[in-house]
Amino acid sequence: MKHFEYFSAHSAEEAVALLQKYSPDALPIAGGTELLVRMKQNLIHPKVLVDITHVPEFQGIALTEEGLRIGSLVTHAEVAASPLVRQFAPAVAAASGSVGAVQTRNLGTLGGNLVSCVPSIDSAPALLVLEAQAVVFGVNGRRQFPLTELFVGPRCSSLTPAELLEAVIIPRHNLGKPTCFSKFGRRKALTIALVNAAACVETNPERTHFSQVRLALGAVAPTPIRAYTAEAYLAGRPIAQEVLLEAGRLAAEDAKPIDDFRASAEYRRHLIGVLTRRVIEGALAGMPKV
Amino acid sequence: MERDVIRKVPLVKPGEPGMIVEEAPTEELAGYPSVGRRIPRRDTIFQVLGQLKYINDLSFPGMLYAKVLRSRYAHARILRVDVSKALEVPGVVAAITADDIPVNSFGPSLQDQPVLAKDKVRHMGDGIAAVAAVSEQIAEEALEKIVVEYEPLPVVLDPLEAMREDAPRIHEPRSNIYWEWHIRKGDVEKALAEAHLVVQERYRTQMVEHVSMETHSSIAMWDAGGRLTVWCTVGRITLARTDLARILQVPVSRVRVVSTQLGGNFGGKNEITIEPVLAILAKKTGRPVKGTYSRKEEFIASTTRHPFIMEYTSGVTAEGRIIARKVRLIADGGAYCSWSETTLGKATILSAGPYDIPNIALDGYVVYTNKPMTGAMRGFGAPQVCFAYESHMDTIAHRLGMDPLQIRLLNAYDEGSISATGQILHSVALKKTLLAAAERFGWEVKER
Amino acid sequence: MAFTIKVKVNGEWKTADVEPEMTLLELLREQWGLTGTKLGCDEGDCGACTVLFDGKPVNSCLVLAVRADGHEVVTVEGLGTAERPHPLQSAFEQHGAVQCGFCAPGMLISAKALLDANPEPTEQEIREALAGNLCRCTGYTKIVEAVKSAGRAMKSSVK
Ligand SMILES: Cc1cc2nc3c(=O)[nH]c(=O)nc-3n(C[C@H](O)[C@H](O)[C@H](O)COP(=O)(O)OP(=O)(O)OC[C@H]3O[C@@H](n4cnc5c(N)ncnc54)[C@H](O)[C@@H]3O)c2cc1C
Ligand code: FES
Ligand code: FES
Repeated sequence: MKHFEYFSAHSAEEAVALLQKYSPDALPIAGGTELLVRMKQNLIHPKVLVDITHVPEFQGIALTEEGLRIGSLVTHAEVAASPLVRQFAPAVAAASGSVGAVQTRNLGTLGGNLVSCVPSIDSAPALLVLEAQAVVFGVNGRRQFPLTELFVGPRCSSLTPAELLEAVIIPRHNLGKPTCFSKFGRRKALTIALVNAAACVETNPERTHFSQVRLALGAVAPTPIRAYTAEAYLAGRPIAQEVLLEAGRLAAEDAKPIDDFRASAEYRRHLIGVLTRRVIEGALAGMPKV
Repeated sequence: MERDVIRKVPLVKPGEPGMIVEEAPTEELAGYPSVGRRIPRRDTIFQVLGQLKYINDLSFPGMLYAKVLRSRYAHARILRVDVSKALEVPGVVAAITADDIPVNSFGPSLQDQPVLAKDKVRHMGDGIAAVAAVSEQIAEEALEKIVVEYEPLPVVLDPLEAMREDAPRIHEPRSNIYWEWHIRKGDVEKALAEAHLVVQERYRTQMVEHVSMETHSSIAMWDAGGRLTVWCTVGRITLARTDLARILQVPVSRVRVVSTQLGGNFGGKNEITIEPVLAILAKKTGRPVKGTYSRKEEFIASTTRHPFIMEYTSGVTAEGRIIARKVRLIADGGAYCSWSETTLGKATILSAGPYDIPNIALDGYVVYTNKPMTGAMRGFGAPQVCFAYESHMDTIAHRLGMDPLQIRLLNAYDEGSISATGQILHSVALKKTLLAAAERFGWEVKER
Repeated sequence: MAFTIKVKVNGEWKTADVEPEMTLLELLREQWGLTGTKLGCDEGDCGACTVLFDGKPVNSCLVLAVRADGHEVVTVEGLGTAERPHPLQSAFEQHGAVQCGFCAPGMLISAKALLDANPEPTEQEIREALAGNLCRCTGYTKIVEAVKSAGRAMKSSVK
């Protein structure tokens, strides 16, 4: 790796001040599992790294008035093992539990995953279907916006160079709703998703019709996306195989998968159909019996 | 080098702890303590304690680190190489190019590979220059300061295209077809004409990198008496030794090659790679020089498994006897020969399959392409042709409406069968093996 | 600027001066001569460089050495000795779970983390715990058997 200067920040203010001071040559580093790999591959050469792992404000998982707050520095291992996340947002726990391998999950953070804005990031779909909010800390203080607005394009977030993701908040009204995450890669473990998907499903009390379904997909467009056409189609429809098939077809239209060295666009469209069904069925299966 | 604690490993005798006895040895084997039994390997304890030294675990006082500048193009003429700026980087001790190499060619059968490319590069793994510095990091940075002027040439990636007369020549003036094997038995055309059914198919396989967990790593050091010692991850030390002696133009007796436990070879460490570069840098600097491949170099600058294109034509009788087989193999040979000759030979000889076929015509070709070198990998071409001829057998069985096992039993080699090359075969257990296997995995049940 | 750091390695505090770009793996292997931990890919993919960082397995090729300041690291050299090998080390030897052996140090560390947290893992749990450790000699079956048997051995020795 090329030489760089290293600073460790001990508060959010200190971190953004350092980033501001050395902008545009500085980058924050959390787990480093994304950043260091890119530096080693000679793709980027930041002159300054600001280690944010000791920033207290960005830690911890807590139930607040607003909802379930997960600090950006919480590792995937911690998200996956958290009783709070498992209870109130099981798909989020499952998504983090699917990232890389044990070693990757012990280092990699939720914040690093989201801010990297790689289209295949596993933590995005589940958070999107739960309408998570992003809390961002910058020189002018905090701002909060829907997580969807964080994703601008492949490896491109809406944060300015001196802004940091502090936490994500899953709003209270969505806590405990039936969700499911599913990922399909070339191998069963330690694999980048060819397609990943999550659903949050609500039905009528008789469990015969969908009332509202939120569906999100990854690795099929420049950013993780919500499949709005498929969602609109599902609202009010009966819970039936044909309906799920059609939803899968519509979801593939919502997405813009591309051919790359991992999979062809055509294969990805097929996978979207399969995963759409899987996550909806998975969320239904997780519901208490009628 | 620090000495490790060595645990005395006593010779394990039957029945002692440490020996896992699987089956009671027969009486006649009673005197042999390790036949018919499983015993732990002697070196394993050092591996699991983390004490066993692989090459990259060794270091010597004053050791320098080398890095090689790889090509930017898959096929290009080199117009100019200038290492002067690299030499100015603090911590860089030496830099070399093709001009520093006494005999700039090597290879296990064709000596068609340069140690460092001089006039042209033939694939992206070709090295052009190398530096030795006090750290790997500095060596890497120095590589960026080396100036190379290229004139890109048309690139040939498809072996079928490379075979054409008008294809760009990778080792001009020679043809891109650099080795051929032809085997004939009986009259294949006549037999095909007489066959009840002729089945024709084409199979392809892909390039595979060995990906041993340990990447290539070596250290070169000269002593005061002008003797060279190379510690390296090469599995064939005598070949490495003769290649090094030839490249460096020193007597073989002056070259000592030390290999130890490899972290995986699989055929990928069957020849020298950067050892001559290290030896020359070590000579120039008077210091030991180490070079370790990055994982990326492992993919682009070491050998891989040949992709094959395999055309099969077989003539069969109505009863399922194969009376003729014609095979045309085209191996994508990458930029240099490496073990292609051996691989193609083995593939061609075995390409008819273990079947007693009276009329055979086998043609094997290996062609240069602007891709990473292809060489030895587990089976030397045998797995590729096995995939083709066994798939082909299934197709024939299917077309005849026959049981795939039956068609194999009907045609399989037997004691005394004569192979395509005229070899009389002994100890042939093929049918027995097929039957035993079929019984064990319940072939008949599966079929129904 | 170099940083002076203090790390508890295999039970002993050590200090080192490190450049920011030095990885924990480089520190262990090149400065401290702890070459049991291997470099396989340098990108977090292979697990050959796995060490315990405050008890948790991580890829030391993806940890900056400065980050280890004040933390505890355990490498394969810290598991056992020739006289007193760790039950996992004995089990790997007995079960033939080692071929070229290059993956073994990382495998052992991942397996230790698993058994420390869960002495009686199921096969599935073992496979998940070792998913980040590649063995190109592909001796996975024996590795899984060895971990299972070490778990049993550790449990019975506790009793
Ligand atoms: C072997 C391996 C396997 C992997 N497998 C997967 C996988 O299966 N699924 C998956 O989704 N990802 C995977 N990844 C990618 C990566 O591990 C994850 O994205 C991880 O969550 C990144 O987090 P980090 O803390 O390591 O980020 P870092 O590498 O520290 O940072 C990533 C980027 O985000 C920025 N950043 C980090 N934190 C913040 C913050 N709080 N505010 C603003 N910017 C920030 C950094 O500047 C950097 O640009 C894998 C990586 C490896 C090496
Ligand atoms: S060397 Fe660290 S994971 Fe491969
Ligand atoms: S034993 Fe060779 S890689 Fe595992």
